[in-house]
Amino acid sequence: MNYIRQILIIVRKDIAAEIRTKEMLNSMLVFVILTMVIFHFAFGEVFEGVEIAAGILWAAFLFAAVLGLNRIFVHEKDEGCLDGLMLCPTDRAVIYFGKVVSSLIFIFVVQILALPIFFVFFIKMIPLSTLWLLILLIILSNVGITSVGTLLSAISINTKARDLMLPILFFPVIIPILIAAVKSTGLIMTASKFSGDILIWLRMLVIYDIIFLLVGFLTFEYVLEE
Amino acid sequence: MERKAQILSGVTFIAMVLAIYMVFIYAPIERKMGIIQKIFYFHVSTAWIPYLAFFVVFLCSILFLWKREKSWDTIAMSSAEVGLVIDTLVLITGPIWAKPIWGVWWTWEPRLTTSLIMWLLYAGYLLLRRSVEDEMRRARFAAVYGFAAFISVPISFMSIRWWRTIHPVVIKPTGIELEPPMISALIVCLVAFTIFYFCLLQQRYRLERIKDEIEDIKSELGG
Repeated sequence: MNYIRQILIIVRKDIAAEIRTKEMLNSMLVFVILTMVIFHFAFGEVFEGVEIAAGILWAAFLFAAVLGLNRIFVHEKDEGCLDGLMLCPTDRAVIYFGKVVSSLIFIFVVQILALPIFFVFFIKMIPLSTLWLLILLIILSNVGITSVGTLLSAISINTKARDLMLPILFFPVIIPILIAAVKSTGLIMTASKFSGDILIWLRMLVIYDIIFLLVGFLTFEYVLEE
Repeated sequence: MERKAQILSGVTFIAMVLAIYMVFIYAPIERKMGIIQKIFYFHVSTAWIPYLAFFVVFLCSILFLWKREKSWDTIAMSSAEVGLVIDTLVLITGPIWAKPIWGVWWTWEPRLTTSLIMWLLYAGYLLLRRSVEDEMRRARFAAVYGFAAFISVPISFMSIRWWRTIHPVVIKPTGIELEPPMISALIVCLVAFTIFYFCLLQQRYRLERIKDEIEDIKSELGG
């Protein structure tokens, strides 16, 4: 059985479990919308600019992502499935990539559902010509978010503080993603066509993604040991 | 070890006294900025220590995961603690200097912001350590985080710099022309604080070893 197949089996298991409970998707989606509403009231009429809207979008996405990432190992841990997963005759890296892919899917689904709401609330129009670029940006950011998040989620679930630990560990590491995502979202929504400035940020995201997928791949086995 | 610690403490003391002499008596008072410029020596010489300290955490984390010797973990933890304290000093002395010179307490300039992000990273590192009971597991988790966190530091720095360069910077740090006596004062101060870091690191490490010894004795006595 090759790597890809093993990874896909874990992903399929996670999706099946999620479809049955819908616990993660529902709470993440409601949370994203709530965050947007809270930002609206926090800033009131002050904000009109695209830059602030981009900031709100990514703050909401990141908070929702942390919520989802927190859950990614909870069931495994509480129901004792993690031991079963670890007993599987596979590499620990397979479990890591499996979890990265399933959290990628969950977070992306929530974002796609939340995106129209965001445009209606804050932008009042959808930049159709550059929408594909925004989607690409979201995917690239998500790879970074989940590669770091899955690793740190596996750590925090095994601590006393549990859910409390993940945001504290996760947010400072993810700051480059936040900067790049907010900057390029602003650029995408103001520019009517592709510009070189966006490319700088996208390149940075790709570098970040590669580095942290590698970090996760190298260190995950030390997290799930025992 | 006891003896080495004493020697290092002695050297640190001499270096510190010398640094204070150089800064306050030997180096002239800056004409434009006046006495406030003195804090610059302490600020600059401490500013690089967190990078060094967290690099030590990074190295010891790798060494721990590789060799599985507890002492690497203890050094990593000690270095993170000392680094965090000195980083706090940097973040305090910075604004004290910045207020009269730049006119603001804080600016989101890359180096400042990176110091702040490092502070958050390693505060998280120490919180993580407090949140795990089991000794070996704590060491493993801390090593993984110590590894991942340090890798994010240069990426953060770069992204903050790009973020800044695309936007015009309103407040630019004024270039400082240093007189030769000022340069020598700065160098002495830099060396003194670096020795100070190693002194604190060793003391913290020693303290942890003593703690372990006490635990061992306790369990031997059937406590």
